[in-house]
Amino acid sequence: MSFHRITIRINGNLEQVDVPGNLTLLQMLRDKLGLTGTKNGCASGECGACTVILNGDAVNSCMVVAAECDGAEITTIEGLASSGDLDMVQKMILEEGGVQCGFCTPGILMSARALLNRNPHPTEFDIRDAISGNLCRCTGYNRIVTAISRAAEAESAAVK
Amino acid sequence: MVVAQNTRTNNPVGKSVARNDVLEKVTGGATYTDDIQFGPGLLHCRVKRSPHPHALIKKIDYSKALKLPGVKGVATGDDFPDLIGLYLKDRCFFARGKVRFVGEAVVGVVATTEEIAEAAVDLIDVEYELLTPVLDPEFGASPEAPLIHPDLGNYDHPNFIFPVANSNISNHFKIRKGDIEAAWTQCAAIVEHTFRIPHVQHVPIEPHVAVAKCEDNGQVTLWASTQSPFAQRALLAKALHIPESDFRVIAPLIGGGFGCKAGVTMEAIPVAMAMKYKGQPIKFRLTREEEFYTNFVRQGLVIKIKVGCDKEGNLLALQNRMYWDGGAYTEYGVNVTRAGGYSSTGPYDIPNVATDSICVYTNHPVGGAYRGFGMAELHTGVDQAMDMLAAKIGLDPVEFHKKNCVQGGDVLATGMVIHDVGIKECIEKVAQALDWEIKDKPSAPNKLRGKGVALAWKAPAMPPNAGSSALVKMNSDGTVTVSVGGQEIGQGTFTAMAQIAAEALGVPYENVKVSGPIDTRYSPYEWQTVASRLTWSMGNAVRNAALDARKKVLDVVAEAWGEDAKDLDIKDGYVISYKTEESVSIKDIVVYGLPKPNDGGWIGGPIVGAGSFMPSYVTGLDAETGQGNRAVVHYTTGAQGVEIEVDKETGRIEVLRAACAFDVGKAINPDMVRQQMEGGFIQGLSSALFEGCQLVDGVMRNPSFVDYRIATAADVPAEIDTFIIEHAQDDGPFGARGIGEHPLVPSIAAVAAALYDATGLRITNPPFSAEKVYLALLEAGLVE
Amino acid sequence: MNNAHPGLPDFVEYVKPASLEEASKFLVAHAGESRPFLGATDCIVRMRDGIWKTKYLVDVKGLDGTNQITFDPAVGLTIGAAVPMNKVAAHPAVIKHYPLLAEACHWVASYQLRSRATIVGNICNASPAGDTIGASMLLEGVLRVFGPDGYRDEPLNGFFKGPGRTNLKPGDIAVSVSFPLPPQGNSGRYIKLGRNKLGDLAIVGVTAFGYPDSSAASGYRFRIALASVAPIPLRVPKAEELLASKPIDEAVLAEAAQLAYESCTPIDDVRGSARYRKQMVRNLTRNALVDIWSKIRKDA
Ligand SMILES: Cc1cc2nc3c(=O)[nH]c(=O)nc-3n(C[C@H](O)[C@H](O)[C@H](O)COP(=O)(O)OP(=O)(O)OC[C@H]3O[C@@H](n4cnc5c(N)ncnc54)[C@H](O)[C@@H]3O)c2cc1C
Ligand code: FES
Ligand code: FES
Repeated sequence: MSFHRITIRINGNLEQVDVPGNLTLLQMLRDKLGLTGTKNGCASGECGACTVILNGDAVNSCMVVAAECDGAEITTIEGLASSGDLDMVQKMILEEGGVQCGFCTPGILMSARALLNRNPHPTEFDIRDAISGNLCRCTGYNRIVTAISRAAEAESAAVK
Repeated sequence: MVVAQNTRTNNPVGKSVARNDVLEKVTGGATYTDDIQFGPGLLHCRVKRSPHPHALIKKIDYSKALKLPGVKGVATGDDFPDLIGLYLKDRCFFARGKVRFVGEAVVGVVATTEEIAEAAVDLIDVEYELLTPVLDPEFGASPEAPLIHPDLGNYDHPNFIFPVANSNISNHFKIRKGDIEAAWTQCAAIVEHTFRIPHVQHVPIEPHVAVAKCEDNGQVTLWASTQSPFAQRALLAKALHIPESDFRVIAPLIGGGFGCKAGVTMEAIPVAMAMKYKGQPIKFRLTREEEFYTNFVRQGLVIKIKVGCDKEGNLLALQNRMYWDGGAYTEYGVNVTRAGGYSSTGPYDIPNVATDSICVYTNHPVGGAYRGFGMAELHTGVDQAMDMLAAKIGLDPVEFHKKNCVQGGDVLATGMVIHDVGIKECIEKVAQALDWEIKDKPSAPNKLRGKGVALAWKAPAMPPNAGSSALVKMNSDGTVTVSVGGQEIGQGTFTAMAQIAAEALGVPYENVKVSGPIDTRYSPYEWQTVASRLTWSMGNAVRNAALDARKKVLDVVAEAWGEDAKDLDIKDGYVISYKTEESVSIKDIVVYGLPKPNDGGWIGGPIVGAGSFMPSYVTGLDAETGQGNRAVVHYTTGAQGVEIEVDKETGRIEVLRAACAFDVGKAINPDMVRQQMEGGFIQGLSSALFEGCQLVDGVMRNPSFVDYRIATAADVPAEIDTFIIEHAQDDGPFGARGIGEHPLVPSIAAVAAALYDATGLRITNPPFSAEKVYLALLEAGLVE
Repeated sequence: MNNAHPGLPDFVEYVKPASLEEASKFLVAHAGESRPFLGATDCIVRMRDGIWKTKYLVDVKGLDGTNQITFDPAVGLTIGAAVPMNKVAAHPAVIKHYPLLAEACHWVASYQLRSRATIVGNICNASPAGDTIGASMLLEGVLRVFGPDGYRDEPLNGFFKGPGRTNLKPGDIAVSVSFPLPPQGNSGRYIKLGRNKLGDLAIVGVTAFGYPDSSAASGYRFRIALASVAPIPLRVPKAEELLASKPIDEAVLAEAAQLAYESCTPIDDVRGSARYRKQMVRNLTRNALVDIWSKIRKDA
């Protein structure tokens, strides 16, 4: 087993990690960096619980080989709130009651953040489409959809 | 992260206060079992599983596995010969002598990493001699079927489970009420039909995970994603012959359970490994694939219903024969069978009933508890039969349901007299929300449109004496810590308990903390987090504990102030005297007490309230007739309706809107009740449209998210109306009863009824996949 | 039975060559135990499942311009192998000139998976269910391949040999896929039927493409490709010929759909029965053709 030394910027901090070739980004986050907010629900790209933002876009971290992340910029759920302030999607999902067991929540919030970054005015369909790869067994989804929609409105109101 | 803490919600019961468990869930800070850090000493476990549904184990060779660097050791059935089981003790930690389902654990391996353990598993050879499997419950119950448990007659079981020795029948529950044969002759319409409900999986997004460690002194600690820490302690300690007090279960937050994390599931394996390899923690987590094919399932059901009514549509008789596909072992199956039996009429008033609810061993995955505990399966049959009967007698289904639904004072099939229920209002609300009388036009020429409604009831299914306890500890900063043994599984129970404690004590909701994780060493006893029983049972315990603490506070103040406790009250965290209008913040007294007048010493001291609750009135039922005074504690009832469109070109069902109404007695937190209604309905809808374990020769062909599809955000209707009906529960805290499971109970039947309304077709074997619907349309000549 | 590993097996090594030559040589030297990868979405799943026992995962992203999309109004579109589907679907030239490609990408898995998954990976994986393969074929895609003997072009029509099997040999590395300028006045559709609305693999996928062409007797040409109903992505030449030769009306479109029905050879599997699949091929092909026809007909 050979190791690869990679340098990444994670939640704003530079980190150097030695990773074996069979490690996924998800495993690196959880097992090497102790960033356990990112969840493992299937390890096969289907559930979205492991979603993080990699170089600006939402990815399933279980579908990324860690060794290829040298130089990457990664935001995980731990880095979503900044300087003590919850992100708007975090605030809204709390207000709307879109969290039950919470296991899907980090992944959903990262998908939502990535959506609003690329599309500040999503339609309801855009939102459902963007989180269709995030399975939630508890909530029935609608409160999450409303939360993301309200976050978009609140953010664009703040910009104006 | 600072969230404004300046709100003070007094008398929070009935208010939709913010949940107390969710802030850390949105920041990634919430700790689930797999998130706990155990350091470099952590070992990992993987399991060699049976590829056969039914076979004798001839030889196990793990010599190659033991030689792999990093492997610590293995364990097999011979290491742990004792039988365990929640009701019927019929299984071992690892298979012994025989395997009974595909995926059964045969050998456990412990190694320094998960991957080494997995590689070692590949090096284990097991030789089998194949036996004929039993793959159908109805056949399994027949005398021709090969015996899966030849020793069934010797298994330990409680007195309300009736296994039949020398058969595959692990429980046979009967009801005989009235004169069914005579009743048929009175019927103007009779419907007779068989329904087949497939196995489905729970699919929590968090797969099962457990870590066990055995100290050199024999004390065992288990960290597990579990709904049943106390039941696990009891069952595992007994099987391992250690005192319960030496077995500690720590249960962090759960990423969804829906019943599959109740009782003892895969935790038995790491515990067994830890007993053998002491001193280091051993972690075992199921892959998503194992979650699908090795874990407890909602058992399949074949239900044969004959139901009849008079010419006005009044129900006269029901004959209900259920064959539950209990699987290889019966952790919960026997009790699902019992619950299906005593509730077998559904929420209908039927004078003549004959029920046979039969749990059958098969070589399928093990039947467990699944949200609804048999009721969704039962209602899929019963409620569709009712819909058919309404059509046959020419009554509108809503009218038919209203005419026949149970009402307070009715004598149920078991002889129990039912309490006040608001099911009729539930039906009315749902019908109204769906504009029941209006037949909407399809949105396009290639669509068919229809509406359907179905009812639900469910009682907590549990032993008669399932108990709860709680502690309410007063702190010197004015906050209150509530300790309970029931689990926060996403349903919001910690929030509801804080509300109940705050209301009973007289402090603001925000000042009440619920201590987690549940730890059997420190948390008070709770039977299990199942059966939608926490709000009611644990809620009573918390209320009692809070009242106990309140009394202690008031007694101290009364003595110190020389007043009568009756003139004192606690409001907004202050003790006030109605007589003197004096007041004192509780924070000043609950730990340090109060000085006696004239410097004459002190009274009081740290205040801890204790409370417990256990129903005392549930009676046994006669083995032959199912009759008894009170079969269950209570029923939560409700109704659900959907409007759907069917695409004639693909057969796909699209749910346009839905309405749910349930009588919860009293909504402690109305918004959380609505969350349960929405989420439960979508889970039910998902099973109506997509879900089923495809078992072929005992092998699950779709053991992954790739082929076991569940509803995504794109599949659900945006419009779900929810209605809360409140007919108080006489022994519930503030009148509350449970709602956790019920919203998915009627969903399959409601979709089936709407499908009939839209197409005239009855499809009686869910899921109503696009393919099944399309081929049915094709057979019926509705499409070419 | 499924014996999926918790993660990638211990024996898996990550290899990042410095050049295409180096990569190709490595793949030849380790034929049978190495494979090139792009998004890795197929690779990780198959290796976790134990279906592929690949030892060396060779990262070929970023070698020789594989990271770019270029559009030349005179020549057409070139998509570097490493460009993930989301980038393709959002590219202005793709949206303007090749909307069918964007539509097909959109139907793959989920957004976050498409941040990694590539069209070239989809093509090289050669699953009969590959959602972007139909569009790539109908838009006359050509795969540019670097192999032990240097560069060569592989037109996609004729590239697929069976499930997971293509014209690629050990040491071959696809570096891009190119599309000529599409004919004037064209329109395309991809209709995918999954068990639930989004994210499923196709029970059936129908790609259709049409445009006016005065050289055809009907005045129009159509192309049709079917997913998940044959061992390889399937073209339907008989239907295409019919639509070029007979004056087009609803009945002829239905007749073409019937030919699609007749030419496919699906199997029963967990996702659907052969019978249902054939029916869906007919219904969805008809819908796709009717929709395209409504957009390209000159008398509209
Ligand atoms: C959760 C999930 C859902 C999915 N859903 C869909 C879906 O809906 N529709 C669909 O079509 N697919 C789906 N897929 C499959 C997969 O995502 C697609 O096939 C994707 O396009 C593959 O691209 P990739 O870049 O990730 O390929 P990789 O995994 O990197 O490679 C795929 C194959 O191509 C070979 N290969 C890769 N690059 C090269 C190269 N440069 N030269 C030669 N050979 C090469 C690899 O060796 C491998 O055999 C899904 C996969 C997952 C995990
Ligand atoms: S864990 Fe990555 S998608 Fe499920
Ligand atoms: S909140 Fe439990 S899975 Fe989404």
